[in-house]
Amino acid sequence: MIARWILLALLPVVAAIALFQSRRLSAIIGMGLFSFMLAAVYLLMNAPDVAITEATIGAALVTAIYVLAIRRTGRLTVVADEVPGLLAREGDHIVGLEYEILEGFARHIGLDLSIQFVPLRRVRWLVAHQEADLGAGGMIRRTDSEGALASTPVHLETGVFAFSNGRQETESAPLGGIPDYQGYFSELLAHDRQGTLSAVVGSLDLARVLSLGRVGAGLQDLGRVEGDYGYAFLVPRQRAKLRKDYAAYLAQLRESGQLARLIKRHFS
Amino acid sequence: MTHERFRTLLAACIVVVFVALIGMMVALSNPDPVDSNRYLALNVEETGASNRVAGIYLNYRLLDTLLEVLVFSVAVLGVRHYLQHSEGIQLSSLSESEVVQTAVSFLTPLALLLCAFFAIFGHISPGGGFAAGVIAASGLLYVAIAHGMKAMEARLNPWRLARIEKAILLILLAFVLAPIALGKSPLSDLLPKGTPGELLSGGSILIYNVLIGMKVFLGAWLVIAAFAQHRGEL
Amino acid sequence: MGTTIAIILFGMGVLGLVLRRDLVIKLLALGLVNGASILFLVSIGDRAGAKAPIQLVGETAIVADPLPQALVLSAIVVNFAILALALVFVMILVERYHTTDSTRVEQEVTREIDEEKTPCL
Repeated sequence: MIARWILLALLPVVAAIALFQSRRLSAIIGMGLFSFMLAAVYLLMNAPDVAITEATIGAALVTAIYVLAIRRTGRLTVVADEVPGLLAREGDHIVGLEYEILEGFARHIGLDLSIQFVPLRRVRWLVAHQEADLGAGGMIRRTDSEGALASTPVHLETGVFAFSNGRQETESAPLGGIPDYQGYFSELLAHDRQGTLSAVVGSLDLARVLSLGRVGAGLQDLGRVEGDYGYAFLVPRQRAKLRKDYAAYLAQLRESGQLARLIKRHFS
Repeated sequence: MTHERFRTLLAACIVVVFVALIGMMVALSNPDPVDSNRYLALNVEETGASNRVAGIYLNYRLLDTLLEVLVFSVAVLGVRHYLQHSEGIQLSSLSESEVVQTAVSFLTPLALLLCAFFAIFGHISPGGGFAAGVIAASGLLYVAIAHGMKAMEARLNPWRLARIEKAILLILLAFVLAPIALGKSPLSDLLPKGTPGELLSGGSILIYNVLIGMKVFLGAWLVIAAFAQHRGEL
Repeated sequence: MGTTIAIILFGMGVLGLVLRRDLVIKLLALGLVNGASILFLVSIGDRAGAKAPIQLVGETAIVADPLPQALVLSAIVVNFAILALALVFVMILVERYHTTDSTRVEQEVTREIDEEKTPCL
């Protein structure tokens, strides 16, 4: 008797807490708990059939279906390579020019942003296979679309610097076959300590050159490669609507002058 | 305040006033369930089922239950149809760790056993066909979580399951219409009543429970499979 | 007691349906309205000192009223089916307009109607 009154009195409280959560997942779990308490109330009101049916349907199946439904909707997945200045981790936060652009874009189209840091070579593969929505982290825009990938409009012009002993690469490719930026970085540092950096052949975009300079590695013989290069994001070719939305958003940022402000804040 | 907040506040006030009116109407009326006295007095002898609730919704109000099964089928059909043309991702073939697999290998037989118990003993103890179907579907969901959706799709083809589900619906209809052949009206009970409390009692309530259990199981599993396939993983 | 709580929950569900903007939470509030209606029906049939409505022939104990419970069983299953279908529509909407905010979806739909593009499936 007392248990029934307590449960009944608690029901509106749980429902109110569940419906006014900020995260969708919390609201769904709250309503699952509400269903469960409702099933207990039915049992205490001498309705066992109804209690069993409500417990299985409301608490198990409805919650499962909601969780299956919301995980895909509402999330913008970005895979990125870590580049200081553009997109890097600082303790708990992520900072950088590209991070601010991505965050504004995600808020503009109403999705949650989720950034995953992966090795450089994986970024292109993941975006080409549609396992992520965008690829970021200092991607150099080559042509408008190549195979399964497409590039968004450029948000920051850069130069590609080749360091060499005469030969020049026109692609921005990591050295050797090292697939990740950390490995690339440390290998360059190792060459710097040994003093053999000038014997290294490769090319780097501006942000990575700057970050090397920050650590004090002296890259001699830097020659700028001809051509217009710029940083952009990678997008799967099939997501035409996403490309259109982003192009519109970037144009809006450019026109309002906010892009210039962001670049000035991060790179000067 | 802004225009939108004013509109929201106005809507909230209207809703509160409306609900308060309904509340007052309900509180001041006297819902005396007079008609159900007939059910309370005679139920068990007439239907032969010890569970009065099963006796009502599978004997006196069988038509309601049939139409409700139909609504369920239409909803499953609609879910499968509308999730057909979505941009699907490849089904992921990740499966979970050993801990989850071991736990599932313990939970799923329990769930399926509960399904069988509720369906077969639905006229003696609480349960019934609907709870049975849903419990079995969530048992399969555990397996799908543990072993990945790709493995499930390989073994349980959704199109064949859909065909089996429709066949069960037709069998249910045949059961309902069968008494016509014997000169009685449809929806009447052909099988003997027996003594309430035994397993073989209550006429055809047992068969209806089993059929509805299978139908709801397949339908709920198809809905889950459609959602999971749309998402690409579980 | 059960009936009053059911009416309160019904009101809260409808308020949540109106006040919250997120489409998924609107659906959850609709589920709350369903649960409240079912609670109301079940608590009508409950009488003082009753037991569960399962008994053999000849027992004359007072049982809870089985009629509302039978009606409500179908209601729970139908609610679930309709909820699944509504969730499918919400998913399609979100995929098309990339937002779960209902006001923004309305704006986008009116914009598409103004630009003479049909917002159909």
